[in-house]
Amino acid sequence: MTKLKLIITGVVLILLLIAITGTVYIVNEQEQVVITQFGRPVGDAVTKPGIHFKVPLIQKVNVFDKRYLEWDGDPNQVPTKDKKFIFVDTYARWQITDPLQFYKRLTNERGAQSRLDDILDGETRDYIANNNIEETVRNSNRTPVTTDSISEPSSDSLIRILVGREKIEQMILKTANERAADLGIVILDFKIKRLNYVEEVRDQVYKRMTSERFRIADKFRSEGQGEASKINGEKERELKSIQSVAFKKSEEIKGRADATAAAIYADAYNQSATSKNLYTFLKSMETFEKTFDEKTSIILSADSEVYKFLKSMQ
Amino acid sequence: MQHNQFNEFEIPPPFVNIVRAVIRNRKPIIVGIILLVIIFGAFFQIKPEELGVVTRYGKYSRTVEPGLNLKIPFLETVYKVPVERQQKLEFGFRTTGTGPAQSTYTKTNTKAESLMLTGDLNLADVEWVVQYRIDNAYNFLFKVRDPENSLRDISEASMRQVVGDRTVNEVLTVGRTEVASSAQAMIQRLSNEYSLGVKIDQVVLQDVNPPDAVKAAFNAVNQAQQEKETLINEAKSAYNKVIPKARGQALETIQKAEGYALERVNNAQGEVARFNDLYKEYIKAPEVTRRRIYLETMNKVLPQLGNKIITDKNGSNVLPLLQMPMQNTNTPKEN
Repeated sequence: MTKLKLIITGVVLILLLIAITGTVYIVNEQEQVVITQFGRPVGDAVTKPGIHFKVPLIQKVNVFDKRYLEWDGDPNQVPTKDKKFIFVDTYARWQITDPLQFYKRLTNERGAQSRLDDILDGETRDYIANNNIEETVRNSNRTPVTTDSISEPSSDSLIRILVGREKIEQMILKTANERAADLGIVILDFKIKRLNYVEEVRDQVYKRMTSERFRIADKFRSEGQGEASKINGEKERELKSIQSVAFKKSEEIKGRADATAAAIYADAYNQSATSKNLYTFLKSMETFEKTFDEKTSIILSADSEVYKFLKSMQ
Repeated sequence: MQHNQFNEFEIPPPFVNIVRAVIRNRKPIIVGIILLVIIFGAFFQIKPEELGVVTRYGKYSRTVEPGLNLKIPFLETVYKVPVERQQKLEFGFRTTGTGPAQSTYTKTNTKAESLMLTGDLNLADVEWVVQYRIDNAYNFLFKVRDPENSLRDISEASMRQVVGDRTVNEVLTVGRTEVASSAQAMIQRLSNEYSLGVKIDQVVLQDVNPPDAVKAAFNAVNQAQQEKETLINEAKSAYNKVIPKARGQALETIQKAEGYALERVNNAQGEVARFNDLYKEYIKAPEVTRRRIYLETMNKVLPQLGNKIITDKNGSNVLPLLQMPMQNTNTPKEN
């Protein structure tokens, strides 16, 4: 009797436990729930966290995440419009906004990830292939800051772009959201995480970079030589200018002095016929004095005055 | 039986007594254990650098401060979030160990993170660190799944977008701080958009290099730049060596000319003064003066002369009588 009582109590307890655990369920802060009955969704999705109730045994709890979820794109090799092979690695953040619809269309997250793969990888491919490589690398037409004060190699300018990375990302996001409209999800953001030349072209890129750098180096060197020549030329010009100006000035000064002296002389010597005679006479005397020395031989006529003079000396 | 068991395990007698006592009073002991579990489940400690987020049957209930706190056991759950701790994410390298003086790094398998395209389609190897703190524990816990990974993705996308808008020259040299601050702004903006609940304290650019394959070429550019400077400096120094000297010489030439001018004019004035004085006397007795001057001059000149040959009136016969002593004895005329 007591044995039977014990068994009944046990069974009741177990049934009660099943009833409680089957009826009560907890929705966590980061979760949302769809209740299904024999696989068919029943009622609205439960999005509020806390304790909730359901019919035990026949109803099942399907938990979905409420948070922003990650989607990581496969690194894809894509040719750009200008036929450059790049590999693109993308990511997106998405959210289950309509769990009921989500459950119906995709069942679980794995289904969603593979649908997102199809949609986003495809759109990425399309948009990248429809644009030149610069459009995906660059984002704006900003003017680059340059270093050197004298001049900057011409390669340091950026070519103009028409679209830019953020716009491409937004367009991909928009089209992808349109395609995912009936899936119960919203893609919040789509971004290009990595973008690079594919391994095979990278060597060529390095070669191009190297030659570009050498070109810049050559430019620097020739600029240096040019600048040096310019300074050298300036030096020569300056030198000649200084020297010739000095020569000119000194000649002018000398000329003026000569003229003044000549005027002074002329004023004195031109006073009268007599003064002219005196001057001529004095000059010739002066000439004698200056030009005759011990190397000079003189032939004197015996009746010349000088001879007489010499004779008197003896 | 029980007794035998205890003996088998060779438990010393005092313990045997304790075990016996426990078995005897098992009801209060079980109640005590249950009470202990409840107490330990009710109290919890939050460290000074943390905040505690408490949920009651799954639903957010409250946020608690550091110290000893209380919760309802089994029904409430605590998430501890280190809001005060500065955390960091590394890109392009990983710290493998931190010693007292030096940290060790590894760069294996991080090339893909750091190698990126610049705006002029060159490649640059950029390594950086993102330092952040959790500033909204609720968002960090409940808004985004795997927030740290999200932050990694955001950081990589932002850094590439910023670098993609700059020339390789900017990224390597002038633009470094600007790249870091732009990236920080963008990472913060995206973190807010994603409700990550983090605050970006700093983005620090570590090594920024051209790829190894082109390093030599980049160095060549630097070298050429130095060469350029050298050439220009040399030319400038040559200029400075010559021009000031020439300026001085020019001044000298002009001063000399001015000296000449002074001399010339003064001489003229002097000579003229002398002439005028003489002239004044001359007009009084011209013939006499003339003769006097002539003879005076001859007097001065003739003694200095070498050969003096006297001819007769007609200038044909050489008179031997007055051969003056010759100073140049070896002149051919002597013979």
